[in-house]
Amino acid sequence: MNSEITKKLIKIIILTLLISYGLDKLVFFGLNKISDNVKTGQAIGKLNHFLELKDNTDFLVFGNSRANRHINVDLFSDNSYNMGIDGVGIAYNSTLINTLQENKEQFILVHIDTKNFFDTTYDGSDIRGLKTKYKRNPIITSALDESGQLSKLQQIYYSMNYNGSAIGIIKNYFKPSYNYKAYNGYDPILVSEDQEDMRDIVLSNFSTDNECTDSHDVNSIALNYLKAIKSFTEKSPNKTFLFVTSPMYNDTCSTDNTKLAKIMLDLGLNYMDFTNLYKDKKDNSLWKDATHMSQKGSEAFSKLLINNIKTSKF
Amino acid sequence: MLFNSLEYLLFLPIVFIIYWLLKNSYKKQNILLLISSYVFYGWWDYRFLSLIIFSSFLDYFVGQKIEEAIGKKNKKRWLLVSLFSNLGLLGVFKYYNFFADSFASTMSAIGWEVNDLTLNIILPVGISFYTFQTLSYSIDIYRNQIKASRDIVGFFTFVSLFPQLVAGPIERASNLIPQIEKKRNLNITLIKTGLFQIFIGLFRKVAIADNLGIYVDSVYGNYEIHNSSTLLVATVFYAFQIYFDFSGYSDIAIGSAKLFGFNFNRNFNFPYFSRTLTEFWRRWHMSLSFWLRDYLYISLGGNRKGIIITYRNLLLTMLIGGLWHGSSWNFVIWGGIHGLFLSLEKYTFSAFKIKTFNAFGYIYTFIVVLIAWIFFRAPDFHSASTIITEIFSFNYGTLFIGNVNAFVNALLLLSLGILIDLKIFRSGTSLEDYGVRYSAIKLSMIMAVIILMLCLFYSTAENFIYFQF
Repeated sequence: MNSEITKKLIKIIILTLLISYGLDKLVFFGLNKISDNVKTGQAIGKLNHFLELKDNTDFLVFGNSRANRHINVDLFSDNSYNMGIDGVGIAYNSTLINTLQENKEQFILVHIDTKNFFDTTYDGSDIRGLKTKYKRNPIITSALDESGQLSKLQQIYYSMNYNGSAIGIIKNYFKPSYNYKAYNGYDPILVSEDQEDMRDIVLSNFSTDNECTDSHDVNSIALNYLKAIKSFTEKSPNKTFLFVTSPMYNDTCSTDNTKLAKIMLDLGLNYMDFTNLYKDKKDNSLWKDATHMSQKGSEAFSKLLINNIKTSKF
Repeated sequence: MLFNSLEYLLFLPIVFIIYWLLKNSYKKQNILLLISSYVFYGWWDYRFLSLIIFSSFLDYFVGQKIEEAIGKKNKKRWLLVSLFSNLGLLGVFKYYNFFADSFASTMSAIGWEVNDLTLNIILPVGISFYTFQTLSYSIDIYRNQIKASRDIVGFFTFVSLFPQLVAGPIERASNLIPQIEKKRNLNITLIKTGLFQIFIGLFRKVAIADNLGIYVDSVYGNYEIHNSSTLLVATVFYAFQIYFDFSGYSDIAIGSAKLFGFNFNRNFNFPYFSRTLTEFWRRWHMSLSFWLRDYLYISLGGNRKGIIITYRNLLLTMLIGGLWHGSSWNFVIWGGIHGLFLSLEKYTFSAFKIKTFNAFGYIYTFIVVLIAWIFFRAPDFHSASTIITEIFSFNYGTLFIGNVNAFVNALLLLSLGILIDLKIFRSGTSLEDYGVRYSAIKLSMIMAVIILMLCLFYSTAENFIYFQF
């Protein structure tokens, strides 16, 4: 390789890096502008909506798709929001809870899934769902930095924060999915007649793969995020916290539930476990699949949950 | 080490710089390439390096013995040593459990229960590729097509050269060894075409294939609950996923090799733009299909022994080609479907005295390939047949979308991938040579846009599909 070739190669590489760096910033700031105005859609709209109203609500629900689909927040308060998001775990929720104003009086319901606390593969990567707010929200930025879940390249190429969500954001910018002002975050699942057969097949084939033993090792990452919520509860005396596990179709292992209840008790956190609420009912109409209830199931569960909350003293 | 990993992003430039600092001695460069290749492979599992080293020693030694042997009989004896040893290794690591399991099932079917004979064997990555590469070397020497290598470092480098070590292209000794055993030069054409191909390959794999894979996995993971339209769309997506995954891998391999002054053979030539299945196999995984043609089909007699033997040879070649991909009856069926249709095509061409089909041939070819892909993707025969039955039951209800963002991204990227392919295909230039047309600035802009696309659309798949073979 002679010096002429070396020069040309270096030129191509430097040009590529410079242009890509410039393009990246252009796209990043452009998407920031657009995304700030997006209030619909799971990619970013729901998060924006939450960040906008989080300190002006009385009742907030955090959790994954099961929280999103199972808890009708309107039954609890007119001024409420369900921040349940598909596929997220305790890392995502703990970070969002830490963005709340400490002094504001609120009821915070955190939906947790027992299996996630004993899943050895859980690495807290669901926190990446907040990456669109990286370098834009100090609490989220700090949590993402501490998690080590972001690629080192993300420090150079900011547009990676919009990985996988750019198209959704642009779509929701031009055509919002719904009227967000009338949206409370709760998305019940309607099971159509067409889907009933499919649902019945899924439920009849359902079996839990997890080995049920008496000794479950708690995932330390999940536990640390739980402790981060605990710390926040201590700084927020005006807030009431309740942790809830909603029903499952057929949970064949109860030892992990017992262990999680013990952990919650040791941490001094209020916890209600409804995993087996409908276990003996065998009513498929309450379900969409083995982990998600239908609207019928969710409404019934929400009513029962509110009664339990009203009769409990926290 | 994966091509789409941060490790490779560091590994490639480091090896590249040291390599060209050693430009005055190609032998030193070969030592560097050999060490780098072993590091590259050992990154996955260093224990299996012993297999590559054993295979390299064996064929280096046997190659010389074949050349030195007097008389066809003696040469054949040494060739058989290579064949049995290489295929023996492949048989143990790749096929033992398959045959043990099939044997047990057959015995069970006739009422004889046998104990579980399967073993806990890990399939070494790339074993099918480097075994075929070393086999072709010995066969070529036996056929007097090449001379045996006397440069041990050069030969070991030929077997393990990192860009092609784990998933090809399966390089012929006649192409690669002469390049290894002489001084290499880097010119601006190689740099431009190499970089262009690496970036296109990354885009194909990381952006297109991996995004398509999200939908395919979600549908094929629960195939029994989906209707015809969903299964059909998932299968079409899979057809493009595997194409962009594997051709993307080959692009990065060929492009990387160019940066070291090597010219690898082309591995893909827009296979879905084929009017016949015969043409498809001249465009799909070309290094394997030409290998099968030259070392299996022709060895069986090719088309020289009458029409019936020709059909038998075609079918047998494709069945073995199917089995090469993996130890499962699904791969055998996949090969069988291709073999059957290749035979039917051969018959049609000779009966009607035509050389190819008209424009409908594109549709016909794609449909046959699509049906065969179902066997390739489905976990077992039962699921494959269920999927085919469902697709042909014409229960075309509402399409399952799943994650809307992921689905839309996949569609958009697929469209972009097809448009890029169409543009290059219609230009009459191969992808391998396409990058040369751009100035440094234009090329940099293209690569910068690809970087941006990767930032926005990368998806984290664990592996390249063909690693499992």
